[in-house]
Amino acid sequence: MVETVIRLRLNQQQLELIDRTISRGIAPDRVSLVRLAVREYAAARRAETMVKPNDLEPKR
Amino acid sequence: MTGRRVLFEHVLEPGTGKAIELLKDQILRIEQVEGGQCADFNCFNVHDYKEFMHCGRTRTVHGFHPTKGTFMWSAPPRERAMLYILEDTVARNDVLFPRCSAYVYEASYGFAVHTNCHDIQAEAQREYGLTPDDVHDSFNLFMCTGVDQNGHAYMTRQTSKPGDHVDLLALMDVLAVPNVCGADVMRTSNFSLKPLKLSVFAATEADLKRVPKTPTLRSQRTPKDFRNPTIKADRPLRRDPTYKPEFPNTPVRITELPVPLSPEELDTFKAVKRTDIYGDDDAAALRDLLFSWWEERFLQANAGAPSIESE
Repeated sequence: MVETVIRLRLNQQQLELIDRTISRGIAPDRVSLVRLAVREYAAARRAETMVKPNDLEPKR
Repeated sequence: MTGRRVLFEHVLEPGTGKAIELLKDQILRIEQVEGGQCADFNCFNVHDYKEFMHCGRTRTVHGFHPTKGTFMWSAPPRERAMLYILEDTVARNDVLFPRCSAYVYEASYGFAVHTNCHDIQAEAQREYGLTPDDVHDSFNLFMCTGVDQNGHAYMTRQTSKPGDHVDLLALMDVLAVPNVCGADVMRTSNFSLKPLKLSVFAATEADLKRVPKTPTLRSQRTPKDFRNPTIKADRPLRRDPTYKPEFPNTPVRITELPVPLSPEELDTFKAVKRTDIYGDDDAAALRDLLFSWWEERFLQANAGAPSIESE
């Protein structure tokens, strides 16, 4: 399986937030957390699109 | 209000305001006498006037029309709940518009002198040694405003009736300064100036139990936390030759985090990435996705507003 590597550029504050999220047991490491974000964010967009097409903005 | 003890009563005549020491657990009622009158409102920590109510923070937390069940917050870096709106019989207040001022009435209407909220506030605050420069953005009670489709704020007439009132519960010792809005040639108070009744009550246990819990955080700083806690006592600004900048979390350092994505994960990412904003910059798009996801999943309130525990 060929993987594509995306090189995230994060500052120390952004990494702190990620690491605190990991310490809450949300994911085992930084890369896993990003992958989880991709899955969950996409799932939320799919759910939204079913309700309201053409709107990819997250609902808050 | 059964069981509330009346501590003070005062009628604000048109063109006037009153600075009132409102201690913690006391309630200030601002009440319509004839109806249809806007009240502008300022508020300071009575023990440290540099802590004052901040409309910007308040509207970020509670929207453009804060009403019963919301707080008036102090400005950063204090950011404490100063007052709680315990009752509001009209539920139409404003934190969009600034106070009216002498300039407005001269520039738009040609008045050499005219009642205006800035000068009324300044005159009321002078009783406690404050200057016209200390008047801050006003919380406008009973003022009916909105935002039009072009993003401009507008005001219109109000429908408040005699006896309508707002009850403000002090969560700290404050100097509360209401005034009768000076606008008689605008819609703010339906083109007339009318009195307002002020009453101060001691809150009952039942009143106090209605206040939701707000967080107490390290970031709510006071002068003991300031690098420069001394209030400047003269007017000119001069450079401090000993100054050395100490901005927090600087320098900002960038770390690269390589994220391998499987073909399926890459397809999923491509389906939702914000190409409209980031173009071909997948790293920026993935960073956006990561923090957008974080906000959706973990942020408790809009715009970083504090989480407030309701009853």
